[in-house]
Amino acid sequence: MQPILEDFLTKWVYPVGFAGAGVDFRMRQTERCIPVWDNIVAGALKTAAADLKSGRDDWKAARALAGYAVEGPCMSIKQMSTQILSVTVDEQPKYIDLQRMRARQIWDEVKHGQLHADVLIRGGWVKREEELMDDPRANTQPKLAYFGMTSMFPHIHPLARAGQHYFNEATACLSITATLSVVDDPLIRHQLRSQEVEEMMHFMEGKYQIDAYALTPEDQKPIEEVFDFLLKPWASAPTRALGGAGGGEPPA
Amino acid sequence: MARLKIDHAKCTECRMCYVACREINLNAVVVSSTDQHLLEIDDRCIYPKCTVCLMYCPAEGSIVESDTGRSLVPPPPEVWTDDLRWPRSAASKAAEE
Repeated sequence: MQPILEDFLTKWVYPVGFAGAGVDFRMRQTERCIPVWDNIVAGALKTAAADLKSGRDDWKAARALAGYAVEGPCMSIKQMSTQILSVTVDEQPKYIDLQRMRARQIWDEVKHGQLHADVLIRGGWVKREEELMDDPRANTQPKLAYFGMTSMFPHIHPLARAGQHYFNEATACLSITATLSVVDDPLIRHQLRSQEVEEMMHFMEGKYQIDAYALTPEDQKPIEEVFDFLLKPWASAPTRALGGAGGGEPPA
Repeated sequence: MARLKIDHAKCTECRMCYVACREINLNAVVVSSTDQHLLEIDDRCIYPKCTVCLMYCPAEGSIVESDTGRSLVPPPPEVWTDDLRWPRSAASKAAEE
């Protein structure tokens, strides 16, 4: 196991505040996630090393454009508000803190979009953030497993996003740690250091919601379905429809 | 005197501690009357008998022991032993609601 993942598990995954069905369920799902998380750390280390070895600067712009596509205001507001709206008025007493967490996260994601825009501005690739509105690279994200509409609408239960938070935000934390362990560029380090604690908060949203709310088979089912989806080999790879290689067989 | 306190130099005000403490009806994490609405921990905190908030805090070093200043985030192993876990079941949650 990658040392970065081992450290993450020890510090942030395994400590539990509750005892009960939610925690037991989370630990079972964690075992499923670990091999994928391990590969993601290895991949992030390899990518960061290759970026540095290239001796060029364009990887910084590519990363920032891709980051803006997933965390810019447009995507952030759409994806987070959609999930907040998945809580009906009747269910609000049950999920009111879940709504608070997601409302907070909208602001976090929008700030992260600013960080990516700052990289592009300070690096000289654009003069103004508004230029990004016309760049497809800053407005499309190619992964089915991301929080975008592809994975959101089939998994619209209020608790479904807990699985997305738990799996995907862990990958964000792990990728940031892996990249920071390799990349010494001050522009990129500034962007990653500025966002890493908030990514951890988003992971904690998933951890907390599973521990505290996923207490019955009915509560766990929509979350487990999300893990089933996210852990498919094709889910995390860029989709062919947006120029990716596909990353495995499509769903039957 | 509160047994835990928040280090505002490190806290990001994400409010996970507030949510966790509220969920178990201790309500020891409060929104202060500062312009920034900073969170504080008051004397309803029963640490070390309860450590739930520490398990969901994402910001290293942001919750500390009041007496010693020792950081409890990420939580050291001795604060999340089996006997410190808050029982959580569908029945107990329904009863709270």
